[in-house]
Amino acid sequence: MSANRWLATGNYFTTYKEEQRIFLTHTDRLIFSFFLVCVFVWPLVFETNNKSMLVVDNILIAMIAVLGLNLVTGFAGLISIGHAAFVGVGAYTVASVSRVMGDDYILLTHAWPAMILASGLVGAVFGAMVGLPAFRLKHLYLAIATLSFQMIFQWTINFMEFFNQGQTIFVGRIFWLNGEVGRNEHYIFWYYVILIILVLLGFMVRNLLRTRFGRCLIAVRDNDRAADAMGMHPGLTKVYAFGLAGFFAGIAGALHAYLYRGVGIESFTLHESITYLAMAIVGGLGTLNGSFWGPAAIKMLELQVEKIAEHAGDMMPASMNLATALRPLTFGLVIVLFLMFEPRGIANWWRIIRSYFKLWPFRY
Amino acid sequence: MTYFFQLVLSGVVVGSIYALSALGFVLIYKSSRVLNIAHGQLIATGAFIAYALTVWVGIPIYLSFFISMVLTFFLTMSVERIFLRRLIGEPIISVIMVTIGLMSILDGLIYLTPFGSENFSFPRFLPKEPISMAGVSISWTQLVGVIITFAMIGAFSWFFKKSTVGISMRAVSDDQLASMSIGISVPRVFGLAWATAGLSAAAAGGIIGNITGLNFDTLHAFGITVFPVVILGGLDSILGAVVAGIIMGLIQQFASGYLDGNWGLNGTGTVLPYIILLIILLFKPHGLFGIHEIERV
Amino acid sequence: MRNHKMMFVPILMSFIAVLFFAANLQAGEVYKLALSLAITGPTSDAGNPYAKGVEDYFRFVNDTKMLGDDRIECTIRDDQYKTDVTKRNFEDFLDQGIVLYLNYSTGSTMGLKRDFEEEKIAVIPASFHAGNLVDSNYIFLPIASYSEQTIGLAEYVANNHKGDKPKVALFVHPSAFGRGPVEDVEKAAKAGLNIEVVEVVEHGQDLDNTAMLKRLKSKGVQYVISQTVQSPVATMLKDAARLGYTAKTFGEAGKITFMGAHYTGGNDLIALAGAAAENFFWTTSYKLTSEKSAGADAQLALAARYGRDEKAANSHNYTNGIMVAQVATEVIKRVKKQGLKVNRKTLYDELNQMNGAKAFQPDTTVGPVTYSKTDHAGVDTLQLYRVDGGVFRSVGTPFLCEYIKKI
Repeated sequence: MSANRWLATGNYFTTYKEEQRIFLTHTDRLIFSFFLVCVFVWPLVFETNNKSMLVVDNILIAMIAVLGLNLVTGFAGLISIGHAAFVGVGAYTVASVSRVMGDDYILLTHAWPAMILASGLVGAVFGAMVGLPAFRLKHLYLAIATLSFQMIFQWTINFMEFFNQGQTIFVGRIFWLNGEVGRNEHYIFWYYVILIILVLLGFMVRNLLRTRFGRCLIAVRDNDRAADAMGMHPGLTKVYAFGLAGFFAGIAGALHAYLYRGVGIESFTLHESITYLAMAIVGGLGTLNGSFWGPAAIKMLELQVEKIAEHAGDMMPASMNLATALRPLTFGLVIVLFLMFEPRGIANWWRIIRSYFKLWPFRY
Repeated sequence: MTYFFQLVLSGVVVGSIYALSALGFVLIYKSSRVLNIAHGQLIATGAFIAYALTVWVGIPIYLSFFISMVLTFFLTMSVERIFLRRLIGEPIISVIMVTIGLMSILDGLIYLTPFGSENFSFPRFLPKEPISMAGVSISWTQLVGVIITFAMIGAFSWFFKKSTVGISMRAVSDDQLASMSIGISVPRVFGLAWATAGLSAAAAGGIIGNITGLNFDTLHAFGITVFPVVILGGLDSILGAVVAGIIMGLIQQFASGYLDGNWGLNGTGTVLPYIILLIILLFKPHGLFGIHEIERV
Repeated sequence: MRNHKMMFVPILMSFIAVLFFAANLQAGEVYKLALSLAITGPTSDAGNPYAKGVEDYFRFVNDTKMLGDDRIECTIRDDQYKTDVTKRNFEDFLDQGIVLYLNYSTGSTMGLKRDFEEEKIAVIPASFHAGNLVDSNYIFLPIASYSEQTIGLAEYVANNHKGDKPKVALFVHPSAFGRGPVEDVEKAAKAGLNIEVVEVVEHGQDLDNTAMLKRLKSKGVQYVISQTVQSPVATMLKDAARLGYTAKTFGEAGKITFMGAHYTGGNDLIALAGAAAENFFWTTSYKLTSEKSAGADAQLALAARYGRDEKAANSHNYTNGIMVAQVATEVIKRVKKQGLKVNRKTLYDELNQMNGAKAFQPDTTVGPVTYSKTDHAGVDTLQLYRVDGGVFRSVGTPFLCEYIKKI
């Protein structure tokens, strides 16, 4: 290790412990702290409106969900085409309480942090259950097992009277220290809640990867038989991974339920599962910061395309079809182009930019 | 009892259409180990091309089905050339995601045409009266559909068993390196696999389009509907696709025939295949006829 | 030739630019309205013409200066039938300061109910689900609810059936949209409506309905009332025609008469089912272009004016969109006439007074639009149509659903 912990240009590790530090240099830590402060302060400085806060909140929730998906798909290498269903499990945990106890029951409105945690745990249980076939299944067959869960989940919600047959189940307004959180502060309030949870979970994943379990995940992804030979249990590791992904998804689901103040099946369909996968890939599979880039990129792209489509619609009113075709076209093209030209996702660009600054004035 | 036989017959008819739709998955998976999620869109494309040729261009309907199959053949071949050729050797999730992206792109392209938001139906070209026997009946459309299905499945089985190209495709699916070393062009085989899958998709599209009418949502949903069939049969077995297709057809018909409307259940035909699928996967992870691969470190 | 085209584009562009400025220079107020609906995704075949109807009518209002110098600006946005996106659109519209909101799907109307209440904004959705009106004051259905339509059909069966108590089966979409009216029909039967509901069938992705139809037949079902979208109905009709089960006339003994509510019918059904659609009975509150009327002519003229193709021009969902826009324009006009400021509250109050002498009769519907504090379903009269020779023809005169008040 170089003596200077501010400007390290290369790897000077002498112990494993040094290599596994969360922040390699003091500069890293400083920049990160500064970034965190910015993220917390900006809504107080700039004027915000409900729509943009809703969009931002939505992106943050997607980040939490994709963090989980990245654990199971990126780090453990198990394709999950049912992630939205796990998010749905979390949301419907909140909805069930609302259904049984009434939507302004004290547990929902006052003890909401506990509800969010509980939803995460329920999500984890379901995740582990769906992961059980991983003891025997691999690759595509496992992917199809998750797809089955997605279909069964959708059918159950659509069919059961208890879940209002997929129609919205309302969740009441919540209370905070200074009383009810009203319509005007709703989105800002949840921005902070989601942000804090996201930062906590982000650190959790970062730390997880430093543990024995984190290394197990990667070993199982790269070659599960070799991992087995080295004394790891691939089956159990996979089930753990699914359970963890379910936990993250469950929390995202509960937050979704509270943010939208209601739960309906449309937000947890197969199409959403595919979108989560696309986010994970565009961000960069198997990287921590990819889970943040992906959702932001995909959601922003959607918004921009919507705007362009609107203008296109204004220009050519008689052929509305062009405007409506733009969204699936761009979504598909972005996925395909990323996979063809940048399979490592946006996280790779980030890595390149970072090393550029790190190595400057030398060339990358 | 007639009711029972009717259910059996309907199950077999529906099942063989599933089998034909599933065939496209199997053909691609067999040689290139890729699961093509965009298959439903290919089915829809095939149906739409056939309709456009028949009604807008005015070509006789049989001929336009044939032309639609040929066009889809070349369409999927170029799709493989443009998008998937680069990804040979990439991890499986990338390839699956490419097909998902492809699905979106095809969606977008179809939305550009009138088919994206309007409904059409093929002109009738078969006798209206059903074929009835001892109280059970089947329509001409369905009968022709079943015949085409079995003809195509027979042809593909022969193709894989006997023809040189078919054998080289099997060789590639078995071991890419080894087949390259004996002079088989692996990329060409992949292209051909996609092209034949497109061909079968167009055939399935024509048949389904005749039964349900041309509605984009209904048609492309078939890509997802047949997943359980493909998995149940084992991803790489044509025979498996046929058997699993018919089993699933029967299960669906019996579920909606005997379960729906009783005990407050409804719509069981849609979800039961997935439940059965999950159970079967636990006991036979490679489906009924899939090849169990032995992996080595 | 090529040169001509090259010239044409800049000329067109500058023309548009001039128009744009001209429009901006106009004095007068701008009333902001908004519509969020499924132009892509599920039910886009209905959403697409609906959007065109709304768009064309508001353009017509502005072009013909129906509101004097004032203009209506209606933002139309695609939500792909997803409640999340609808909510985002709605928040955006609120930030833009809309005075009236047009919505589309059942799911999002139900999901945003509370937001409508909190924001105190009047909403006209394209969903006629009766559940929209539960616990809500601000949602106004354009026409009779699905329950009303389905019960109306059941009443028609009860009144026109010859012989014993008619046996009826319901064929519904596997969602709340389809299941909504089931309970209401059963309640009506309990309240004395002379029908027997034998079975409720929820359809899936079916390729073959033979078994289902045979089962219904063996149970003696003579009428099937559907509450779903066109595609599954078309498959069922084709199977029934093949089996020779379809009744040639209403209530023909030993056969099955097929009927359906608003979203099962229209030209899309005929396009999907072809000849098998013959003798399908359908109810809605809209006038169709297959029947000559002032409304139909006006609709076709509007479509021609803005270059819509024939399919859109003749779609009943195009009518649906026009009618909703007509209602919106009418309320604004009425509020203006009283010299009040056009805002959420005045529009809402005015909508609630649209009854009695102030009932609004658009040329696109078979009856007047009436709203009051207690009645938030617009056109209460229904018209029965029957497919005859590949087009829908009206059967009898518009009627009212009686039993909806008794349940």
